[in-house]
Amino acid sequence: MSAPDEDNTSNNTQLASNFFGELLDSVIMDVASECHRVARLGLDRNLDDEEEELRLSAQARARVADPSNSETNSKYVVDIFGQTHPSVAAEIFDCMNCGRSIVAGRFAPHLEKCMGKGRKARVKATRSSTAAAQNR
Amino acid sequence: MSSNSDHQNHRRRPYVSNQQRQSTAVIVPTPCSHLTEFKAGRGETAFGRLLEAVRVRPLGRASVRGGANEVFRCGACGKGPPRLYACVSCAAVVCGVHAPDHEHQIAIDVDRAELFCCSCGDQVYDRDFDSAVVLLQTAAATLGGCNSLCTPPPESIRKRRRVDYRPWTPDSKERALLGTHSSLLPGNNEDLSPNSNFPVGLKGLNNLGNTCFMNSVLQALLHTPPLRNYFLSDRHNRFVCQQKNGVNHSKNDRKNKNSQRLCLACDADALFSAVFSGDRKPYSPAKFLYSWWQHAGNLASYEQQDAHEFFISMLDGIHEKVDKDERKPHSQDYLEPGGSSRFPLDYQTFPHNINWMNIGRVNFLFQRFGSGDCCIAHRVFSGILRSDVMCTACGFTSTTYDPCVDISLDLVPTHEAPTKTLHSCNGKAETVNSGISTLLGCLDRFTRPERLGSDQKFFCQQCQVRQESLKQMSIRKLPLVSCFHIKRFEHSPIRKMSRKVDRYLQFPFSLDMSPYLSSSILRSRFGNRSFGFEGDGKDPDCSNESTSEFELFAVVTHSGKLDAGHYSTYLRLSNQWYKCDDAWVTQVNENIVRAAQGYMMFYVQKMLYYKASGTS
Repeated sequence: MSAPDEDNTSNNTQLASNFFGELLDSVIMDVASECHRVARLGLDRNLDDEEEELRLSAQARARVADPSNSETNSKYVVDIFGQTHPSVAAEIFDCMNCGRSIVAGRFAPHLEKCMGKGRKARVKATRSSTAAAQNR
Repeated sequence: MSSNSDHQNHRRRPYVSNQQRQSTAVIVPTPCSHLTEFKAGRGETAFGRLLEAVRVRPLGRASVRGGANEVFRCGACGKGPPRLYACVSCAAVVCGVHAPDHEHQIAIDVDRAELFCCSCGDQVYDRDFDSAVVLLQTAAATLGGCNSLCTPPPESIRKRRRVDYRPWTPDSKERALLGTHSSLLPGNNEDLSPNSNFPVGLKGLNNLGNTCFMNSVLQALLHTPPLRNYFLSDRHNRFVCQQKNGVNHSKNDRKNKNSQRLCLACDADALFSAVFSGDRKPYSPAKFLYSWWQHAGNLASYEQQDAHEFFISMLDGIHEKVDKDERKPHSQDYLEPGGSSRFPLDYQTFPHNINWMNIGRVNFLFQRFGSGDCCIAHRVFSGILRSDVMCTACGFTSTTYDPCVDISLDLVPTHEAPTKTLHSCNGKAETVNSGISTLLGCLDRFTRPERLGSDQKFFCQQCQVRQESLKQMSIRKLPLVSCFHIKRFEHSPIRKMSRKVDRYLQFPFSLDMSPYLSSSILRSRFGNRSFGFEGDGKDPDCSNESTSEFELFAVVTHSGKLDAGHYSTYLRLSNQWYKCDDAWVTQVNENIVRAAQGYMMFYVQKMLYYKASGTS
């Protein structure tokens, strides 16, 4: 009785193969039909530009990563106007809140306390206004 | 698919994605002689009977169906689907092999509702047919009443006039006016210093103590063309503004000596004046910081902060204070020559509610946005996003519109990245695309249909029950300046930690946004049929082809770790790139910029971008 079983198996295999073949054909046709329409209707005009940008980007990264390239990560000597600048900005001006003379590079921390804003300022205020234990 | 068609320009196009990226205007291909002949005698009703057999699945494509359980088979060989064609003239069904033998020429692919010419052996296209199919498809998506998919919204009263760019030189009267009412900047013939060769608005900004997040954004805004033009043409004169608003007796006023009303736009005006003065010493934006901290109290702290949050907060600050600006009565020349106001939105005509906006972790209240003319910040940066929620059961689509001042994009990790996979059929091993995140890839992801989870079922008005749905974003109207924010900082409240994503993102110098417009997204949703979808160039309220080309002009980058990092800005002026790193302004090669880690990218509409001008 093995012959009909074998036939059944091979029929099933054949059927499965046919179904798969039809599905695959169908999927391929879908893709082909959609791409055909996109191409014919001129809906894919920018691919060249996009690829060019990608190419330039890859090229740029390669050049920048090149250790012999001196331009990257070099410390500043002078800016384009021939000026140099200290690491902490040295300009001095008056605080518009309290009137004191402040160095530019330290203006933000000063202003924070001066205006009573910021974490440190707020913590101070809390400490004096509540006696409750603080979660520090 | 065999084809007699010409093979000119026959490059293998990579298959991009099933949401094919497209540019706007659809060209109607010249019909083959057989199609022309077919249509000649029949006119508009050529496909009338055929269309009766077209069936539409919700959210799916159109197809041709016969009787209830009819299965098509080729009349000649009995072959079943796929690839069967039904003759439009006599309804006979043939397969691809036997199609050329059929007596009539024009048939239709039954599974895809695509016209097929049996003689040419090729898929052919007809606008009338496409239009009819689209109407069937979109009818299923709406309740038959409000059809936001095809019907363009009512035209606004104020149309945008396009005027060509005209170079201007002052006449003798204007020269006299200039002579008496202004003082010339260095950079004219008398100044021979090398500094005069550089664009006049280049100037360093002093770091006031961890304020590089502010400096970097300010540099980008100082060179945002419409914003720069606005302030440099004196549209918000700080002296006039302060004089008009007088001495302020409000209790918000502390013991400051000038007792001025808080106005971030005035501080911006001062900033522009200083930076464009021609003086090259770095400027300390101290007053600006002070004003901003008064405006955004919760962000006022000495810690390192997020540049994007500052950007949103600053636009919000200008929005509140500038809505009573004096404007020229008839035109706003600082935006575009001779153009009238560009934001004539009338939300009353849309049968949808205005949503509260929440982008960039700051809530914008848009009651005042009704006319779109509220302030320079919105005129420059504000666009409109369209959100469609589609029922997966019946296709019914609900549409909402939201204004936005920028677009925040997720940086997709490698395994998810919708990269282009190039089939190197032509032998070229172009592996440059694989694995790279790109700005266009992020935008693809932003506009792709997203299946909402089963826990987020949406109430469908047509089905009258909650159904699983798809959501898709698109851009209804592009702003003059598009700011893209890359979400590199992930904050996980659950795990109580944050991390930074350092992954490289490729971004183009020239950007075409048309594939992300609502018209393009809608078109691709309905099978790319040639049909005048919303905003296809005729509606002045929508973006069209000429307004969707952008040029990059500023990149804000972040280097270093999450809590110990540094922001700097690359500026593009007269096609030369400069790096603005707090007080240090240096010239850099464009390769440095392309390879940089972009955090915020600023693009301006190409027609507002002056490439050749020496003073840019």
